[in-house]
Amino acid sequence: MSSDTTERVTVHDPTLRDGQHAVRHQLDAAQLRAYAEAANAAGIPVVEVGHGNGLGASSRQIGQARLDDATMLVTVREALLDARMGVFMVPGWGTGKDIRRAADLGADVVRIAAHCTEGNVTRRHLGLVRELGLEAQAVLLMSHMTDAGRLAEECARAVGYGAQAVGIMDSAGHYLPGDVAERIGAISEAVDVPVIFHGHNNLSMAVANSVAAVEAGARVIDACARGFGAGAGNTQLEVLVAVLHKMGHPTGIDLRGVLHAADVAQEQLMDQQPAIDSVSLVSGLAGVFSGFKPRVLAAAGAAGVDPLEVFAELGRRQVVAGQEDLIDEVTRVVKAAL
Amino acid sequence: MSPDARSLLFREAPDEGRGAAPRLKAAVIGAGMLGLDLAERLNASPLLTCTLVAGRESSISALRRAAQLGCDVSAEGVKAVTRADVDVVFDATTAEAHPAHWAALATSGVVLVDLTPSSGGSMVAPTVNGSRAETNRHLSLVSCAGQAVLPVLDEVAKHSTVDDVEVVTTVASASVGPATRDNLDEYIATTEYAVQRLTGATRAKVMSTISPALPAPAFRAQITVAACEIKAGPLVKGIEAAACEVRGFAPGYEISSLSVDHGLIRATVTVTARGHRLPPFAGNIEIINAAAVVLAERHAVARGRRTQS
Repeated sequence: MSSDTTERVTVHDPTLRDGQHAVRHQLDAAQLRAYAEAANAAGIPVVEVGHGNGLGASSRQIGQARLDDATMLVTVREALLDARMGVFMVPGWGTGKDIRRAADLGADVVRIAAHCTEGNVTRRHLGLVRELGLEAQAVLLMSHMTDAGRLAEECARAVGYGAQAVGIMDSAGHYLPGDVAERIGAISEAVDVPVIFHGHNNLSMAVANSVAAVEAGARVIDACARGFGAGAGNTQLEVLVAVLHKMGHPTGIDLRGVLHAADVAQEQLMDQQPAIDSVSLVSGLAGVFSGFKPRVLAAAGAAGVDPLEVFAELGRRQVVAGQEDLIDEVTRVVKAAL
Repeated sequence: MSPDARSLLFREAPDEGRGAAPRLKAAVIGAGMLGLDLAERLNASPLLTCTLVAGRESSISALRRAAQLGCDVSAEGVKAVTRADVDVVFDATTAEAHPAHWAALATSGVVLVDLTPSSGGSMVAPTVNGSRAETNRHLSLVSCAGQAVLPVLDEVAKHSTVDDVEVVTTVASASVGPATRDNLDEYIATTEYAVQRLTGATRAKVMSTISPALPAPAFRAQITVAACEIKAGPLVKGIEAAACEVRGFAPGYEISSLSVDHGLIRATVTVTARGHRLPPFAGNIEIINAAAVVLAERHAVARGRRTQS
């Protein structure tokens, strides 16, 4: 574990991937290009792009993206003169074919993700990423559903599969700083590669949780411009950069540049800046993936039931991303119980 | 399929062959979750008996459990099977290993029932094209998702013109063994191929989520079909009848919701495991193993008839 405040922290920017959840995966090429150019100019080291759920995930189930994966990657690749391009893939949603195509289109960093306890599905894909000569990272989704020891074990296993950075996502925005410190601390002790933390802001803890992660040893932190992301949004990029600099951690990012990128994001990517409304707060408490919010609001609205009740029931069933088909069923159950 | 042929798929059908022929001898390659459950099911069949479970050195403890079921066991995999006197072989290993298993057994005269998501054999689902089991010696079960959705999609294809199909499965973490976890790409590719072949869809998209939730949720497959010329009445009746047929060998198979709306057909299939020692949520294992056994029984009945005549 390291708490050296002069160590560099790599800020990983999934604005053009996780932010897609806030706009139902509808970003167009001009939007991707504008933000990627601004992020590149700011010195952001890694810009991740894709459908909100990653390569291969565009579907009726999760949401059909405006652009196909290849178009998104080609567009962003052209705009990133210095920054590296990241992609995200969950085995079961995408396949090795998607990874090969992303490699052909110039991806540099490939994140392979699995739900918290299911890390062994990433074995072959992490191996493939290494074989292709790209940087392989492994992240565990919905990490609040298991404990620190298990997460550390899963991360150590991923390093064995070839991951060059490993870590956790707070997909539901459920953590408090102490939860993050415990988990990142355990992971940092179990592996000798950089540790990743990805926060969501449902409980207004995203920046505080990211600070706790860095203090516990994390060296790759995810953040999105203006917090662009579903529901309450992600860790706010420009705030994180300022806070890391204030702590003494270099990021290689120019603050003025990232403030400009955040303006571009606000003006060109989003209908409104993410905010913590009642639904986002309850979904965070219930531990439900924030990306479900637009679907839950639509289903609850159509059925005339309280979306808070739908989220509470989804939380009781411990649903994870990819189970969007349960939203209608759970809404019916909530309605029947009225 | 004629009603007569259909009746062969059900539990009462094997009785027709009882006494006419001795039970066929079966071997299982792979001592994982599928393999052990298969061995138990085979021993419960009036037409089949499991004489050998062949795994690897690393599966010693699972092989010990198979031995307790009364099967011979071996850690030499397919090699042991080539030396054994068996009629039917079930491959419950991996998509990568399967082609070599077929190569080793192709000339031996056995029937090879492939439960891996390899696509080499004749793709078969009992209620859709189960008669293939009577004559074909290399059967592919596609995947657990395939076994869950092909009976529904068969009806969809009969009563509409299919444009695109999406299948999303949710499986409980504890019901997914290491081989399946390694074979997710093949699981997707083979299921997509089977769906496209059966329905004529221009696009088939298959996704799978492994759920870490506790208590574990039952196996579930969400089917969404974009189609035109949908004959909704006959379609709904057809799907209900197909589900009833599947329940003949997998009693926990249910259509838990079904809707036709603006050119979109949505059906949710859930399967709970009812038989043997599987936990109820492991419907994914139940549906593919029950299908494999019922197909082998069908082969046994056909063989018995050929012997008699």
